[in-house]
Amino acid sequence: MKKIIATSLLMGAAFLGKSAEVTIPIEQYQLKNGLRVILSKDNTVPVVTVYMIYDVGARSEEKGRTGFAHLFEHMMFEGSANAPKGTHFAAVESNGGTLNGSTHPDFTDYFEVLPSNKLATALWLESDRMRSLAINEENLKNQKEAVKQERRLSFDNQPYATAIVDIWPTLMYGNWQSSHSLIGSFEDLNASSVADVAKFFKTYYAPDNAALVIVGDIQSADARKLIETYFGDIPSQPQPKHPDMTEPADFQGRTEVHKDPLAKVPGVIIGYPGPKRRSPDYYAIIMIDAILTAGDSARFRMDLVKGKQSVVQYEANLAWPFGNSLDYRDPEDYGIFVLYNPNFTATQIVDQVQEEFAKLQNQGIEAKDLERVKTQLRASIIKDMQSSLSRARALAQYAIVDGDPALINTELDRMLAVTSAQIQAAAKKYFVAQKRSVLEIAPAPGAQPGNSGAKEGK
Amino acid sequence: MFTRRMTAFLLAAAALGAQTVDRSKAPQTPPIPSYKLPPVYETRLPNGMGVALVEDSRFPLVTARLVFQAGSRFDPKDMPGLAEAVAALLTEGTKTRNSRQISEEVDGLGGSLGGGAGEDSLVVSGSALSENTAKLLELMADVSRNANFPLDEVNLHKQNRTQSLLADRSDPGFLASQKMAEVLYGSSPYAHIAPTPESIQKLDAKVLAGFRDAWLAPNNATLILIGKLPARAEVMKTITAQFGSWQQKQLPAPPKMDLPAPRRQIVLVDRPGSVQADIHVGRLAPTRASSEYFPLMVGSAILGGGANSRMFKDIREKEGFAYDAHSAYDTHRDAGDFEGVTEVRNEVLEPALKAVLAELDRMAQARVSADELTGIKNFLSGMYLLHLETQDGLASQLANMKALGLPNDYLETYTAHVRAVEPDQILSAAKKYIAPDQAAVVVVGDAAKIGEVLKKFGSVTVTKVE
Repeated sequence: MKKIIATSLLMGAAFLGKSAEVTIPIEQYQLKNGLRVILSKDNTVPVVTVYMIYDVGARSEEKGRTGFAHLFEHMMFEGSANAPKGTHFAAVESNGGTLNGSTHPDFTDYFEVLPSNKLATALWLESDRMRSLAINEENLKNQKEAVKQERRLSFDNQPYATAIVDIWPTLMYGNWQSSHSLIGSFEDLNASSVADVAKFFKTYYAPDNAALVIVGDIQSADARKLIETYFGDIPSQPQPKHPDMTEPADFQGRTEVHKDPLAKVPGVIIGYPGPKRRSPDYYAIIMIDAILTAGDSARFRMDLVKGKQSVVQYEANLAWPFGNSLDYRDPEDYGIFVLYNPNFTATQIVDQVQEEFAKLQNQGIEAKDLERVKTQLRASIIKDMQSSLSRARALAQYAIVDGDPALINTELDRMLAVTSAQIQAAAKKYFVAQKRSVLEIAPAPGAQPGNSGAKEGK
Repeated sequence: MFTRRMTAFLLAAAALGAQTVDRSKAPQTPPIPSYKLPPVYETRLPNGMGVALVEDSRFPLVTARLVFQAGSRFDPKDMPGLAEAVAALLTEGTKTRNSRQISEEVDGLGGSLGGGAGEDSLVVSGSALSENTAKLLELMADVSRNANFPLDEVNLHKQNRTQSLLADRSDPGFLASQKMAEVLYGSSPYAHIAPTPESIQKLDAKVLAGFRDAWLAPNNATLILIGKLPARAEVMKTITAQFGSWQQKQLPAPPKMDLPAPRRQIVLVDRPGSVQADIHVGRLAPTRASSEYFPLMVGSAILGGGANSRMFKDIREKEGFAYDAHSAYDTHRDAGDFEGVTEVRNEVLEPALKAVLAELDRMAQARVSADELTGIKNFLSGMYLLHLETQDGLASQLANMKALGLPNDYLETYTAHVRAVEPDQILSAAKKYIAPDQAAVVVVGDAAKIGEVLKKFGSVTVTKVE
């Protein structure tokens, strides 16, 4: 899956199975306050990842507060009762570690990767902000500016990006929770108050709405004691209500054209509503994705880039553009984004892509090709398991979405069991033109850049 | 082993004090565990090809790099992007395999294979499931030795690279890097970072093969192989079978490296419609062979490496001018450059550029504090460890070492060199290379909106994007 745009979207799914010849050790338990804990020991390199996941994302935002989940994520780095502003970055980096946080449609994550002697430091920091985040006007004002600046840098000043983040969801979804801009408008960011931050924190940032995953060079008895010490007495909160994400039954996919003043090469986004997570069709579509896009022998490369010479670059995924098959939660799409040769029209490109699905619908896939794709999938998944951070990401998703982190050791087997007949059936059921949405991105030098971001100052 | 036990014991001791933990202070932690780099076995084939093997059996994978001293610095003057094109087309056809066969064979190994070119080196990178190591080496040798640049593949490359170059040129970060390289490196081969539409049009099998025949030779290459490997004798036998018959070549003299004297100049790259200004302040800096390398690298990290750095704290966290504010010290084999970078909204260009210049000045005027220095030494030592988690991480470090011609003990002694840096050494390196009085200022943005403000800093040369 090639990357075209440099946004902070996380790529790369991670699953293992018997076929992987690798088993990830897992210990899981729950603190009295409801915090789910997953430990996975690996003493080969003295590095540890502390990964905190909260079960709330941008799709939980309320009308008038687009972009709030992301703004809140920034506030999590602004200090807490015992670790004032600046301490978090300083304590992690000056101890040889790295850190970050990211906001997704349905979850928000924070991590520290450190030399393993600094496990306690990371737990101290994560527990202190879960217990006592510093919520005040000055920090909020400062982070509103940082977020707006992030929007300008990563979206408003980049080709294709505003089309992807602001417009694409409106074509794919009928329910506002899914169709609103996840990075948000300047108007809504400006309107956010300290009271909003406090309420969001109390509602969603409680131990029983989170999971803590620790992967790497640990001794589990010691890690358990430290976790109890730092997190054990943080009070739980009533389970938050998750918004209704159901798509309206009458919602119809459609085609739109967006003029992009910063783009120089034409692009097109094509999307189809996806299957239920972990249903048989879900595994079949993971295989379809690999057939079309994985590796140099992928069909999009062989047929479109090389054969028809129409596509220049492509990327595609379940839960595109913000996620992947690992963090996919229905309702989400299977999305394809291509840049194409201007000698072709967007309609021709869409037809050529649809033709690729037609081939799968009519013929499925030959045994030797399916075998090769499965080998690729197996290798890429083992490859992803090398870093403690990607193992932690996978464990966290299985814990909070499926309630079973041990799925990390069995999901690959489910994918490798997919047959050509299942692929054919899933292609017929999901990848049909009537269910499709299309966003054409046409280079338009001279037009006004930015979308909702341009509202500021008026 | 002993160290590890000590660590566990101390952790347990800290945890037993659980009930009385003092949250107001960062926890006391045991010392950083010792870690020894897995041993790198180095040898050389009779034809001069270097071989570096690292056994890492945690996962059933192998990662390979074949590093040639053949990067973009070797592009002929009228053919910028030639090395990059050779690298891209190596896997598009050989005497015995067409492009589709190569792709299907590689994918069937659970692997990947592709070429890429940096300033100094052209690297063929490959990976596979361990069981397919021999086959991966066969394919790497075939594309490196026998690529034949078929007409239709060359034409497709030209067509698509023309489009992707257009896309690159719509990216402000690319435009800034391109202009900064031009300004700093003048007429030297490091001045270009990409092809031009004209040079792409001139590509053909003859010019591609000419570059390949001049620079892709065993005596100009090192093979790095990391992972769950077959026994040493067996893997050496495979390597010899695939690469042993490759004839040595007399290498051409490398191009001359004339570097211009640094001077203050302000260049505005006009990008109509930009909603922000990308600011880069840079100048030439020494290579890794210099005794000033570690002091300057550590100093640059204090200034703008990471979220605890001065630039991040001041320009982003305190002033709210930018999302990103950082410095970078990049080294090539025969020259290097230092840069301070931030991207700000148009309205705050003036105070933000002043703030960047002031931060650079401050590094040159006063010693860094003991706390800053300890913190950054820990940070750099920790990052070094973190990069060793994956095969790709170690392979990239070794490949970079080979590309830059660094000594074999470079990785092993890296942390000790970082730890040995003194505040006075940083100050003296900062005076020479970070102080902005002779630095070039490159800004990418909408000239109609920011041109006047920029003039307050001196005379401005405005350039257009082609």
